[in-house]
Amino acid sequence: MNEIKTIPIGKLLRADNRQFVAGCRVKELETPALGALVKVRLQDQSEVYGLITRISISDDGLVRQLASGMSIPPEYAADNRHNRNLPVEIEVLTLGFAQDGKLYHQLPPRPPLSLDVLYLCDDAELVRFTGHGKHAYLRHILRLQEMPVEEILVSHLTKARQAHEAAGNHDWYPQACEQLVILLREDYPRLTTVLDALSAMD
Amino acid sequence: MTTQNPDNLSSNKNEPIGFISGGGLEANLQVRLTVPAQSVQSGAFVVMDSGYWRFYGLVTDLQLGATDPQYANQLNIHRFDPALASILNKQTLFTNLAVMPALMLEIGPEPGAPEYSQWRGALSKEPTPMPVKTVPDHHTPVRLADKGDIEDIFGKESKTVFRVGETREQGHAVCLDLEKFVQRSSGIFGTTGSGKSFLARMILAGLIHADKASTLIFDMHNEYGIDSTSSDTGAAVPGLKGKFSSKVRLVGLGADSSFHGRQPDFTLEIAHSDITPDDVLLLAKTLNLTDASGILLDALQTRYKENWFSTFMDMKSGEGAVYTDEDGKQHPTEDSVAAWANEVGAHVGSAEALHRKLRALLSRGYLVKEPASKALDQIINNLQEGRHVVLSFGNYEKDIDYLLVTNLITRKIREAWEKATADFHSKKGDEPRPLVVVVEEAHKLLNREMASQTIFSTIAREMRKYYVTLLIIDQRPSQIYDEVMSQLGTRIAASLGDEDDINAVLSGLPGRGGLRGMLAKLQPKEEVLMLGWGVPMPIPIRSRRYDQIFWDELLGDSNKAKTKEDALRIMGF
Repeated sequence: MNEIKTIPIGKLLRADNRQFVAGCRVKELETPALGALVKVRLQDQSEVYGLITRISISDDGLVRQLASGMSIPPEYAADNRHNRNLPVEIEVLTLGFAQDGKLYHQLPPRPPLSLDVLYLCDDAELVRFTGHGKHAYLRHILRLQEMPVEEILVSHLTKARQAHEAAGNHDWYPQACEQLVILLREDYPRLTTVLDALSAMD
Repeated sequence: MTTQNPDNLSSNKNEPIGFISGGGLEANLQVRLTVPAQSVQSGAFVVMDSGYWRFYGLVTDLQLGATDPQYANQLNIHRFDPALASILNKQTLFTNLAVMPALMLEIGPEPGAPEYSQWRGALSKEPTPMPVKTVPDHHTPVRLADKGDIEDIFGKESKTVFRVGETREQGHAVCLDLEKFVQRSSGIFGTTGSGKSFLARMILAGLIHADKASTLIFDMHNEYGIDSTSSDTGAAVPGLKGKFSSKVRLVGLGADSSFHGRQPDFTLEIAHSDITPDDVLLLAKTLNLTDASGILLDALQTRYKENWFSTFMDMKSGEGAVYTDEDGKQHPTEDSVAAWANEVGAHVGSAEALHRKLRALLSRGYLVKEPASKALDQIINNLQEGRHVVLSFGNYEKDIDYLLVTNLITRKIREAWEKATADFHSKKGDEPRPLVVVVEEAHKLLNREMASQTIFSTIAREMRKYYVTLLIIDQRPSQIYDEVMSQLGTRIAASLGDEDDINAVLSGLPGRGGLRGMLAKLQPKEEVLMLGWGVPMPIPIRSRRYDQIFWDELLGDSNKAKTKEDALRIMGF
């Protein structure tokens, strides 16, 4: 397995085969974004890939106290943000895995473990993962419940399209859209919502 | 249908246009189209290879479909990004073909495969196309028939396999086996201006050229025998006599007939003694005869045998037919109609009325007491010897002439061919020469009223075994008696507007629903639909043009129009 060139953005809090949650400090929050491709390297050197589907910041007692105060000096707020007790949570949808140098758009045999490090994939890796096979990983995204699937898709497709086009592949995006249409054509309201969102994308 | 050698079967040259997605034998096969809808037309001949079988079918309908009707109900291009809309339309909107399966042919494994030789060895005879009895599998690729497929089914052009036209999509030749065509009665239909007459001319030229049967053409409007000009374009239209001068006898009705300066080979006069009471009864409507006429005519024939007509016509009636005796009483003269009526116990008034009405026949110049020649026998001899006869009606264009003459001649022909067939079966003579009697305006002879009386329905029904068949040319097939229509083997239909006419042409054929739409959409003067027993499967085609090229192709170089220079060179200048 290659040396990891990508950026560490957090450590795993909890995980199952389908999704996992990583925690990070507010300071580290500048890097991850909704729809970004991330991965976790397991002990057996296999890697689990996923898509950021939610980033959440929970409150704690101190935040509540501070929020209810009449006025807070700026250094209090800054201190609370950077030295808070609870991490920012990054929820990741599992899209596939890599094992022995081969990519699979399937759920991994085992989930990652807690405190495994979450890395943000760079463009080359994004192109490699999304360009593998026939966009089969999209089905995992479409299976999401109670999530703004269209927004996640648009964020993901925008990033991936840019990466592919920068690498000279202009067919990837239309093919991905075609696959989306095929997967969603039996569900008219959902497909049209996705297409509306994609049409609005510049 | 031709016998196939699978080794020679055409390879799949055309790319698939779609795949089987459902359907069946009764409800037509459904084919999902994978090419633009406009690249296929209703009536297209398609081929499907599935397992060891090749299926042949006809596209009867094209239907637009959508995975969800909502995708079709809005203009996606206006709502979404154009590239996305195009992807969406491609994946959700589609065209389905309804394909009527017609024939199937066993083709066995791929030639060259190990099991191929085993399959060939197990064949007891060469597979031939047969009516379809099963269906191709789901997802079987469907392609437009190529030249080889069409030849496999409709035969390859030759002297007896006549090219009627080409497929509409790719222009492959579609032929008609004339040997099969003449085995049963057939019909050419189309409204006025649909190109029916040109089509008939071409088929007749093909029949005369093939020389497998004699033809007797009742040319009511003088358009088949002699050269004429097209009423639409003003172009010269060659007649059959000019093109087949040694094979065709042009016969004019009446001693004085001539056609635009062209003399007929001989003229036809009919002796009064050839007329039978049945011939006259056929004209009952035209002559306004009463029901009693039949009895009177029978009485005349019983008494005077074959001379009944001239004898009856020679009788007197009216004022000159009575004399007054010494007592001042009036009596009919001995040679009067009334005297004859009294003698046979008939009603004098009816007899005199019949006499008066039959006088109309005397004005027909071709009916004479003593014909100058035995032209009727000559016609039959010519036909039996293998020549073709065009009987032009000249100026005798009334229904009365057409009904009387066609029926009378055909009756004679029937007698002659029945005798020849009997002689042949008792080994006293050669096999009779097949004869095709060509009848124009056939509804006049074969309508519901007349069909039972004229000889033609008998020919359509049963003369096949006596080697005589009909070729009906008509514009109102719905007026022709159903029983006659259902007997027609091959039907070639040009455009027909009337729903009843379309139904009539399709009577007694399977898969009428799909064919009806196809027939209704034929382009006048351009397209025809061939169907019925004489063709392996129905097919709409673009018909050949009746022009110089047609004659050059049919007759070869000998027919080529000579230029002035050519003519001078031949003459030695």
